[in-house]
Formats: sequence, C-alpha cells, structure tokens
Amino acid sequence: MASPSSAPARPPAFRSIGRSILLTLPIALWSLLMFTPSFRSGGRALSIGAVLVIVFMTSLFFLMMRTGETYRWRRIFFVALGFLFPVGFIASLIAERGTMSIPISRMVSGDTPFCFMVTPALILPAAFARTIVFPGSILPTASNPHSIAVMIGLWFAFTLVLGKAWCSYACFFGGMDEGFAAFGKRRRLHRFVTKYGSILRLIPWAILLCVVLLSAALFEPFYCMWLCPFKTVTEFPAVRDLETALQFGVFVTLFVGLVVVLPYLTKKRTQCGFFCPFGAFQSLFNKINLFDIRFDREKCFDCGLCQTSCPTVALSKESVREGKTLLNCMKCGACVDACKKDAAVWHLKGTPVAVKPERARLLFLYGAWALATMFGGSILANSIATMVHWLPLK
Amino acid sequence: MAYEAVTPVTGRSAENRYTTRKMAALPLAASAGEALVLGLTTGPVCLASCGPVVLPWMLVQPKGIGPHSRQLLLFLAARLAGYMVFAAAAWLVGAAIPRAWSGRSWAYGGIELLLAIALLVYAAGWPRPRRALSEPSPRLVRIGEAPRPRPSGAVALGFLTGINLCPPFLVAGVRAAQLAHLSGALFFFLCFFAGTAIWFLPFLSLGFLQRTPAVVTVARMVAVLLACWYGFSGASLLIERIING
Amino acid sequence: MRRRILSILAYTGAALMLVVAASVPFVLMGVFSKAVADAGLHIDAAYSGGTVARIIDRGGYKIVVYQPVEPRLLERIEPFVQVVFEPVDALPARVSEEIDLDGDGQPDVRVSFSLPADPNAPLRGDVTALNGKYISLTNVTGESFSRMVVRAGKQIVVRVPLNRGSVNR
Repeated sequence: MASPSSAPARPPAFRSIGRSILLTLPIALWSLLMFTPSFRSGGRALSIGAVLVIVFMTSLFFLMMRTGETYRWRRIFFVALGFLFPVGFIASLIAERGTMSIPISRMVSGDTPFCFMVTPALILPAAFARTIVFPGSILPTASNPHSIAVMIGLWFAFTLVLGKAWCSYACFFGGMDEGFAAFGKRRRLHRFVTKYGSILRLIPWAILLCVVLLSAALFEPFYCMWLCPFKTVTEFPAVRDLETALQFGVFVTLFVGLVVVLPYLTKKRTQCGFFCPFGAFQSLFNKINLFDIRFDREKCFDCGLCQTSCPTVALSKESVREGKTLLNCMKCGACVDACKKDAAVWHLKGTPVAVKPERARLLFLYGAWALATMFGGSILANSIATMVHWLPLK
Repeated sequence: MAYEAVTPVTGRSAENRYTTRKMAALPLAASAGEALVLGLTTGPVCLASCGPVVLPWMLVQPKGIGPHSRQLLLFLAARLAGYMVFAAAAWLVGAAIPRAWSGRSWAYGGIELLLAIALLVYAAGWPRPRRALSEPSPRLVRIGEAPRPRPSGAVALGFLTGINLCPPFLVAGVRAAQLAHLSGALFFFLCFFAGTAIWFLPFLSLGFLQRTPAVVTVARMVAVLLACWYGFSGASLLIERIING
Repeated sequence: MRRRILSILAYTGAALMLVVAASVPFVLMGVFSKAVADAGLHIDAAYSGGTVARIIDRGGYKIVVYQPVEPRLLERIEPFVQVVFEPVDALPARVSEEIDLDGDGQPDVRVSFSLPADPNAPLRGDVTALNGKYISLTNVTGESFSRMVVRAGKQIVVRVPLNRGSVNR
C-alpha cells in the first residue's frame, strides 16, 4: 500500500548530515528571529514554548532535508498544530469569559476573533455594500487582537506565497482530520472513496457557492452560523433558543462525522477534501502560485499509488496521465513520497518537468516552512505556554 | 398627491411606510414611474432572493447565449405570471394581505417548501425522459450529465420565486392594493417587474462559462443544498407558526 | 532559447517569492492589513448597532442614541434602535431613564435595569415603549440582535425593536 502513514515506499535518498544541517540553517535562524520577542517579553511559560517550537520546527525541517521526504515530517507539525490550537484557544476563552460559547454581548462589542474561514462569505457584501458581515472589529482592540484587517492581511500575504498549500502548512484546523486519518492502517471505506472520489471532491465548490450566495442574501456569515465543524472545538454562539441549539447540533455532527469518524475510516482528510469551502476558495490561488506537483510520464507506470496516497483525492487517473494534479492539490508531498519510481516530482512552473525537482522542492519548502514557523509555530508556542501554566511547573 | 412619497426601501417590513388608503385615481404615467423606480431600486433584494435559484439552474444549461436567453426568458415570464397572480390577489383582498394577514407565515413557509421541492426535482434531472420498458433503468443522477433543458423547470422556479413574498414584492403588493382598478394594479406590477428584471440580465453572461461535467455537477449540488436551506427555512416557519398558533 | 528565458523567469519569481515570504511578518502583513483597514468597510449594523444619532450627557455618564437599523436584503433581524449607556462605572446602581430615540423632543421609551455588583453576573432589564413606534421588552437580556439589555465591556447596550406592525420572519 501507499499509505502516507506507513513506511516510505522507496528508499529515501539520504543527504549527508553536514549538508542537511547547512540547508536547515536558514530555518533555524528564522525560527530564532521569530521567537526572540517571546524571550524578551513573554514570561517563563512562553519562553519554554518558544524554545520547544524552535527545536521542533528546526528538527522537522532537518529531517525533511536529510530524508528527502516531505509529507511525513510536515504531518507531524500539522497534526500537532491541529490538536494544540484548540488547547490554547479554549484555555484563553475559559480564562477570559469562563465559557466556550460566545454571548451576544461580545458579538455586539466586536469581540469575536476573526477566522479566515469566513473570508469568501465576506466578499459580496463587502464589494457591493462595503459591509463586513462578521461580528468582529476591523482594527485590533485590546479585547480582540485578532481583528479582521490583521487576519485578512495575514491570510493574503500567506496566500501569495503558498496558494492552496495554505491548507497543508498554515491552516490550524486541517491537522485535526489529518490526525484522525493517521490512526490505524485499515481503510474501511477505500472502495467508496475510489468510486465516488470524483464527485466528493466537487462538494466543497458547491458549498462555497452556496455559502457565498446565502451570505450575500441573508447578510450573515452563513458558514459560521450553520456549517463550521470546528465551532465544536473553538467557540460557538451561545445556545439561547431552538435555532442556536440546532446550529450547535449541526456543528457537533459535522465535527464528529467529517473530522473524526470519516477520516479514521477513509484515511483521507474528509473535512478538507470533501467539505471545506475555504479550501475550494483557496484552490483558485493555485493558478497564480509558482509551484506545483507534476508527473514525469516517462517514469510513471500508472500504478495508482499517488492517487491512493493523496489525502484529499486531488489526483485522478486522467490528471496523472496528463502529468498534472487537480486544482485542489495542497502540495503536502504525499504523492511524491509515495511514488516508487520518482515520477511524482516538485516543480517550478516555467521550468522543464523532472529537471532538478529537488531544487523546486527546496525553494517551495523554504517559503512554506518559514511561514509555518511564523504562524503555526507561534500558535504552538502559545498553546504549550498554556499547558505549562496548567502544569505545576511554576 | 394623495399618497406618501415612495422611498427606496430594503427592509422586510417596510411596507407600512405606505398608507393603506385606496387611492382614487393615480395617473398612469406616475404609477408606471413609481413602480419602475421601486423595481429598479429594490432590484438587489430581488436578486438576492431569486439569484440563488437562478444561478444553479442556469449553470446546468448548455453553454451559449441562446439556451441561456431562452431559459431566462421562460423564468422571467413565469415570474411575471406569479407577479400578476399576486397583484390580482392583493387588489382583490386589499391592503390587508401583507400587513395583517395571519396566514402570511403559512404562505412564506409553503412557498419555500415548494421551491425546495422544485429545486430538488430539477437538480435530480426529473422528470426523466420516457424510456422503453426494455431499457435498463438509468441512475437517478448521472454525475456531470447535463439535464436536457426543460421549460417546465424554468417555469416552475420562475413562478415560485414570482409569488415568493420578498420585501420589495410586499411593498409593491401594498401599492397595488391601494389602486382603484384591477387593471391599474396589474399595470403597476408589470412596471415593477420590468424594473426588477433588468437586474437579472447579468445571468446571461453565465452562457459564456465553459460547461464541463464538473461545472454541471457542482450546479446540481448547489441546487440540492439550496433546496435543503429553503426546505429548512420553510419548515421552521411552519413549525413556528404551528407552535405559536 | 524560450525555455531558457522561461526558466530564468521562473527562478527569479521563486527567489522573489522567498523575499515576499521573509517580508510577511515585517512588512507585507502590515501593508495588507492597512489596505483592508483603509478600504472604507464597516461592520454590519446588526452587530455594530449602526451610526450614532446623538449623545445625551447625564453628567457622570452619557447615553448614546443610534440611528434606527433596518434589515438589509433578506437579513433575518427585526429593525431596532441601539442605545448605549457608558461608562458602566459611572452609572448608578439602578438606572431608569426616559429616552427620546427619534429626536422629536418627546420620550419614546423608558429603559430600566439594575447593575449587579458582580460584573460577570447576567444583566436583565426592561424597556417600556411610550408610544406605538417601539416594542416593550420585559426582563430581557441578550435574546436576539434586536432585543437586548446586555453589558458589553464598559457599556450597557440596549436594543429596542421598532414596531413595524407586521410579522417578521
């Protein structure tokens, strides 16, 4: 099998330790630069978190360089991010307001932290009515540093560099279903996914269109109000009537189904690949991104391992025959690592396919890992700091 | 003038800005102008209300301006028919319909449920063409297969959105009810329709969009999802009405 | 030749992308954030309460009266008027105020609430409509975006629904 969770399908091309260290050096320096403020002003707990994150991120990058594999090491970071983000976030909510639910009073005072998932729903009301249909604040405030301007600025800057790879290196939700997909070996719904993958991968586009249309018509963030599975592990509107109770029920059902049960059964990122409208929206930016995954047709013998290994069904037989991925490829590297013939390669658009693919991989990874360290790393550091507070270490 | 000035309104409950008195004789041109302006200014609300239905329906049509124009014309014609029915009813019963009619929630809920059913039916590709008995049964939905353009789909969806009680529609209904003659009410709604219909023309541009199996499938999925929303919205209105009596 | 030029362009682009990535935390994020902040956007009035109509000074504290908020498009809220009492610290333990909401010189509603000593304790209050333009609320807290008497930071936010004489969805 070609499970990304299993041992690599081909012997990895190990680099020497010295060369690997040399290649890791820029990331180590970048990590130090990013977390210096934590040492200066963050207190003991945050300093511990920062040190751990610097070591963690640098070690993973070193292993990427040393083994030539991407997916396995990236996944460790990503799953850690997915599982630790709620820890820090929920802890801060409990400390601040004593509950995960967001009361209406905080919504009217603009204290809802902005989440990038709502971005597509904002476009039409912002374009035609100059109105943001989200109960946050545009500029950061003391009670809400995660303002709309800051978060959209961050997202857009990341998207310029990463494109759809946001979903593999920056999203603080995706690691959850990737984590549950990593449990166990047996794919119980493999045939179902193989048979209906071509339909399932279109669902996020349909949800995206619905969310955009209904948000514009109803003037409310429809996805946040009705469809976001991750409300279950972050914050949700306080249950005050039948409608909000129903919303909460939908959030929990979607979370259990799409983030826990289905990933476990299919070994796929079902929420990300078969549901997330933001992921579909982000796919559009793959068109302008410089990097992609390509298939060397001279080496490929259509074994299908790449398709089986892809966590979001972003490959089809036809696309592989054309030497390309589909638009929803999030550049996680699973297919490249799974390919026994080195036919799946990292590629810089404009250069010949399979000529110096490792150079393309390095150029992509430096940008992606730098941003992952900056954004995901700081989330990890904060979450670790929260846990340090809980533990009797003080 | 014996009636209040018309102001552009977008609120769902804004119809009470108008008096409920029967107007004596409203000059035809003034009535037409008022209705047209009302239609033009409240067009975005119509677009928000009907757009989610029109968009997926247009996306499942074959590529080209011709098929899109035909479908849009059918849709708008059926919508006009819905308008006329409502205009006549509003005039006959009087201004009481939108303001105090206790059955308004029933009508809202019922129409939304019907709209949900229509969206589901046409997203699924029903009614299927007749087949010989010996033919094997096709799957309900062949993914990517564009359903043959069915005039009945555009007509059903157009009529149901036509009688859907969206806010500007209710405002126009109150005005129509105030007019002295039925013909005046119908004419008022005709002009109101013309004002709103202009906002639907951009949908023709969807004819230029490349039709791939993926686009058609996504459009049908959107129709199903929207049907779920309309179904939920309609059902919750009816349930609320039943509980509250 | 064309292939070579394309390759050079591609590698130049990739190098630029690295520069962009490195500039994200220092420059780029701030630039984009500022662009969003300067875009002239505003939070939907259903959440923000809309624009301020006038401020009534009560000596130690003030009452901020907002413009009426109408639902937009198919927005599922009732029309309402927001009134804010601030700062909370300067308010008496029991507030009962008659307020002119539409600026015609006549009081439109009476807002009454008692401030609990514990700032985290839920606040409840009453709104009595003094004419038919507004709807009275009894023992209300954060019921909906159009009906509330809540503490929001250093403010007490009151939202009074407008009586439109119709059934809202």
